[in-house]
Amino acid sequence: MTGLAADRRTFLKGLGVLGAATLIPGCATSTKSPGSSGGASSELSLQSNLSSEQAKAAMENLVAAYNKTGGSQVKLNTVAAEIFRTQLPTYLTSANPPDVYTWYAGSVADSYAKKDLLLDVTSVWDSMGNYSKAMQSLSTSSAGQKIFVPTSYYWWGMFYRKSNFAKWGVTPPKTWAEFVAVCKTIQSKGIPPIGIGLGDTPWVASAWFDYLNIRINGAPFHRKLLAGEGDFTDPKVKAVFTKWREVLPYFDPKGKSFPFQEATSALLAGKTGMFLIGTFFADSAPKDALDDIDFFQFPIIDPAVPVAEEAPTDGYFASKKAKDPEGTKKFLAWLATPEAQNIYVQSSSGTAIPANPDGKSADTPLVKKGKAMIEGAAEITQFFNRDSSDALQPTADAALTKFLDKPDQIDKILADWQTAAQKVFKA
Amino acid sequence: MRRVSPLILAFVLVPFVIEAVWVFWPALQGFWLALTSWDGLSAPRFVGFGNFSDMVSDPIFRTALKNTAIWLVLFGGLSVIGGFGMALLLQRERRGVGIYRAALFTPVVFSLVVTALIWRVFYQPDGLVDTVFRTVGLGNFVRPWLADPDTALYAVIVPALWRQIGYVMVLYLAGLKAVDPALYEAAKVDGASAWQRTRYVTIPQLKGVNSVVLSVIVIDSLRSFDIVWSMTRGGPYHSSELLSTYMYSTAFQSTQLGYASALAVVIFVLALAVILGYLIRAFREES
Repeated sequence: MTGLAADRRTFLKGLGVLGAATLIPGCATSTKSPGSSGGASSELSLQSNLSSEQAKAAMENLVAAYNKTGGSQVKLNTVAAEIFRTQLPTYLTSANPPDVYTWYAGSVADSYAKKDLLLDVTSVWDSMGNYSKAMQSLSTSSAGQKIFVPTSYYWWGMFYRKSNFAKWGVTPPKTWAEFVAVCKTIQSKGIPPIGIGLGDTPWVASAWFDYLNIRINGAPFHRKLLAGEGDFTDPKVKAVFTKWREVLPYFDPKGKSFPFQEATSALLAGKTGMFLIGTFFADSAPKDALDDIDFFQFPIIDPAVPVAEEAPTDGYFASKKAKDPEGTKKFLAWLATPEAQNIYVQSSSGTAIPANPDGKSADTPLVKKGKAMIEGAAEITQFFNRDSSDALQPTADAALTKFLDKPDQIDKILADWQTAAQKVFKA
Repeated sequence: MRRVSPLILAFVLVPFVIEAVWVFWPALQGFWLALTSWDGLSAPRFVGFGNFSDMVSDPIFRTALKNTAIWLVLFGGLSVIGGFGMALLLQRERRGVGIYRAALFTPVVFSLVVTALIWRVFYQPDGLVDTVFRTVGLGNFVRPWLADPDTALYAVIVPALWRQIGYVMVLYLAGLKAVDPALYEAAKVDGASAWQRTRYVTIPQLKGVNSVVLSVIVIDSLRSFDIVWSMTRGGPYHSSELLSTYMYSTAFQSTQLGYASALAVVIFVLALAVILGYLIRAFREES
């Protein structure tokens, strides 16, 4: 009998440990990075999140071109975008991190600089005098060092099919009132005027929040709010949603169920009228349909507010622990040249615009128009997660999708958002 | 006492060492992280039971806890009832019964992510589910199944059940095979009806299988993650969040690793409580 009791206890104890093992994820506090080879110092490792087919091929071309210049040999390691995003903190904090990383300019890069994880690349910027003021400030950390090398950017806009607009007898609106009128006309033809794709890609809704906020309250207010210096329960934030509510009846109700790629198909098939999206949507669109695509600037709401546009900037930063800092900087300086950026733009899908003003963007009317819009803007914002942090994005996703569903609960939604955001800023 | 051969010792120790490094140690670390605030970049900061007291006032945690309970009851309960029912129906060797068994078991072979993809196609606007509802005249009920907070959780439970019922059925089929036919004969001689034979012969005889099924169901319910994540990601706005999906998004999207570890500890305690409760009772009855 006693033997059995002892057996039972050991068994249960064992079960407990096993249970713990199966249910708790192994949150290792220190991991070796898979990307680093740690070999000779003449080899640089480049960790890339550009995993879509065209972008990956473009990166391979780019690296091959640099390896011919006779500097350090660069080894490209492409990681699926989603994995890259979640693993980036691990890469940077590991004992033997990869040297160079693709990532985004702005607050999101600065958040790593604040933890002292990024290489100071101020000397690289000596050869980048022709870059715009906006690019410079986006690449400067809060401590005043240059920590980022921008190489390309793209823009967001309200995309539509030219043939459909002609068929419905509407012209691209410039002001909010005109925009509402266009929505009304398209709806009267039995077509949902505004397409959106929130299933799986709820972050697409943040574009609406960003744009309404920078049109109503201006870019400086928007940036402060996203940096945790404001409060989402502020009446000025509520004003954004009051405006948004005016056009809620014009949103495609099916947009809640599918991702932005399908929302793109819906737009191209004429099942929706317009779609606020970044140029990356072109990756999932057939080439022949693209000739019929045009965009207009997000309508102006308050003419007194300096016009800002969303132009997310992509580029590179390097680890503080880079094994060969001089070789790394040399590579970054090369990436900043028009030649390097042309190689990338020519071999990728072509909607990215080189960050170097001397670089050549694709010679299509669409890209020319986009470039002109961004160059004419008084202020540039990046995008919700890039102007804040990747950690804040899920709080926006929850708040905005709930607003689209239950707009009358806005006060509670904003209060919940503030609580959730507070937690992220505190962490 | 006979000396244990080195080979046997190696068979025990080698897996133990591997487990210790890859499983036990990270698990213990998880317990430690639950008491810290950690963003994955800076050093973890000790906060005592702060994470657990935060949970009390966290509305998303409450939703996730409630949904996990719903999941345990609906997913667990229905898969036991369904699996047992199917096993009773399909236990007798008849012509073609193999086809039915195979058909019910097939979903188990698919990975849950594949299952989720297939069902997402069913649920999409104007997809199979909508068409079926419209054909039978229930068009008014059609809604964005996975994007409506009132239906999302249940829309995910259906494919999870579709798979789990086949699995539980196989466990019960194996159990039913082991029941001595003489018992049924004796019961029949005593004049027991079909229902009485099931109630007083079959069910008591399946006690061993029941404990296996219960453990499997409880563990499967609490670790259910892949199907929810691939169908709704806990959305829309956290309405189909389970503790497991909330733990994942807290850890890897919001990078609040301390709070996420605390959630993991809660999941662990819940699973242990349910399973231990049952096992202790089972052992007591035996002794």
